[in-house]
Amino acid sequence: MENTIKKVKRCYFCLNNINDVDYKDTQLLRRFINSFGKILSKKRTGTCTTHQHKLASAVKCARVMALLPFTGK
Amino acid sequence: MSKVKSSAIPHYEILYIIANKYSEDEAKLIETKVNKVLMDRGGKITFNQVWGKKRLIYPIKGFTYGYYFLAEFDLAGSLLAQVDKDLRMMNDVLRHQVVVKKIKTAERIAKDKKIADKIAARGLKEEKAVEDQAKIKAEVKKKIKTEVNLKELDEKLDKILETNDLL
Repeated sequence: MENTIKKVKRCYFCLNNINDVDYKDTQLLRRFINSFGKILSKKRTGTCTTHQHKLASAVKCARVMALLPFTGK
Repeated sequence: MSKVKSSAIPHYEILYIIANKYSEDEAKLIETKVNKVLMDRGGKITFNQVWGKKRLIYPIKGFTYGYYFLAEFDLAGSLLAQVDKDLRMMNDVLRHQVVVKKIKTAERIAKDKKIADKIAARGLKEEKAVEDQAKIKAEVKKKIKTEVNLKELDEKLDKILETNDLL
């Protein structure tokens, strides 16, 4: 375990200066959901709290408009 | 969100789906109908975009395909509920969603550009650092290889000398 390299995870939206997450950009949102259509935790993706909130609401908006699935597979 | 209401008219964005049972021309007619609903309520349409026919991720009312339309408009906040109701009454529109759209000010755009430049510069720096590291690694590898070769040569020479002694 001592030899494992810990990669520092950083918020994608902070790094790229994205203030408002667009719910129409499904290609981006798909990176933050798993194959079942569930929103990935910020622990896993490294997203900061403020952006995780925006991301979650964006994914939910996209689901309503049939751009993303409510459930997958 | 600030609690104090600003006097400026809010800017909204609407995305709606029209069923696949209509042809593309008919869908465009329905688009004008929706625009009319917005205008009748005192809205001012600033942007229109046609996404075209798209596959729905899950079927809505038995339709697997639909025409997507996007529009942006200014409307008094109190009238939004009525517009929502009007659109809900329209059977041609499968589903619609209105979202508040923030308008970027010139200041904000300038700030964003500055940050974007910074990010680009940082990316270049990181690339350089990675390249430098790769170079150093390659040099170290070369050095080790030459050292090993010298050792092997010594051993080989020793062996040859030994055989010479036997002769």
